[in-house]
Amino acid sequence: MNKARHFSLALCAVAAVLVAAACQDAASPQRTITAGITPPPKGGGSCANFRLTGGGRVDKPEPLLGKNTPDSHDFATFGFQARPTGCPSTDGSGNLEWNEHNPAAYGGGFAFHGTVTFFTTPLDETAGTTGCGRFGGFGRINPKNGSTTQLVPFQVFHACDVAEPGVGKDHIFIAIGPIGDGGPTYQRHSLLSGGNIQWHKLTGN
Amino acid sequence: MTLKILAALTLLAGAVQAQSVTGKAFGTYVNVAGIVSQSPIATLPSTGGMATGQADAFGVAGSVDASQLNAVTTGAVDNKQTGAQSTSEVEGVSAAAGAITADIVTAVATSYFGQFIGGSDATGSGFTNLAVNRVPVTDEVAPNTRVNLPGVGYAILNEQIPTGDGVTSWGMTVNMIHVVLQDVLGLTTGEIIIGSASSSVSK
Repeated sequence: MNKARHFSLALCAVAAVLVAAACQDAASPQRTITAGITPPPKGGGSCANFRLTGGGRVDKPEPLLGKNTPDSHDFATFGFQARPTGCPSTDGSGNLEWNEHNPAAYGGGFAFHGTVTFFTTPLDETAGTTGCGRFGGFGRINPKNGSTTQLVPFQVFHACDVAEPGVGKDHIFIAIGPIGDGGPTYQRHSLLSGGNIQWHKLTGN
Repeated sequence: MTLKILAALTLLAGAVQAQSVTGKAFGTYVNVAGIVSQSPIATLPSTGGMATGQADAFGVAGSVDASQLNAVTTGAVDNKQTGAQSTSEVEGVSAAAGAITADIVTAVATSYFGQFIGGSDATGSGFTNLAVNRVPVTDEVAPNTRVNLPGVGYAILNEQIPTGDGVTSWGMTVNMIHVVLQDVLGLTTGEIIIGSASSSVSK
């Protein structure tokens, strides 16, 4: 009985190795597109016992308030949910959508669809501030001019829930990139000109 | 004693269950003579989370042409604070055979409550290079601005519809372009909505 079990486990292990090898071969053409991509720097920051949700609009760079002139097209809208796996891990999960309209930005503006892989407390000037979190991962960027790039790293250095309502008070600092091998990195650091960010203590669900 | 604990737990469970969020966003909706077409809808789960609805382009001949339709809604239910926020963006908009055009239409609807405050708003909504009846509109469009569209009907721009009782529930629906199609007798024959976002919370 035990021998049969060991044999089947061994078969499973061999099968797993073969499947993994096949998957690597199948995935390799996609990886060549993103060769040289720097993974988001997960290091640093402490594991977190809270999650963040948010969405809305950002215009002027912090600390300026309000909307840019409409003809500038210089604004972005976003939505995200992000949470940690749970201490002591700094892994995370969730999603982020970021739509940049500034024609001077990468690709003449773009849509970014990200998946969260890590979530920690912030490392920047917001470190130690209640209501702020840091997260990041990888995603797909679709520029208005140009082709789609996969597995682009992103990092939200901080997303901060300062007050309700959040307009003019909550703020977010995001970097997307490098986009492609040695490509540019996009950044926006703004107070919200619309929407809200909320900080929620983890309750086990 | 046991009964008291059970009663307290039941009340607590009830209080938690009573909190809820809704969120919805979409780029375009067209109803012409009962024939309905709509771009993908983002609908927030009642327990919170995130949903998206996106399309590269959307068109109904004579009614709407649009591109880069992105709708996102996020939200969370929590004892201390609950919120939902929805955004809808549409680019390259032409509605009602070109009676209304815009480079970008942005709708943002936010609803929230904390321990001592609750509310909802449409802050962040706006138009980029809006033109009505081929006349550029350079000023901010006030909420619920009505414009006549000769031969088409009329439109409500930046339509804002608050919901909730303002005490235990708050909500907002924003339709940035809401065209009401009318026949020569002034009877409604259909409608077009472009850039719609809504959210609500209750406790």
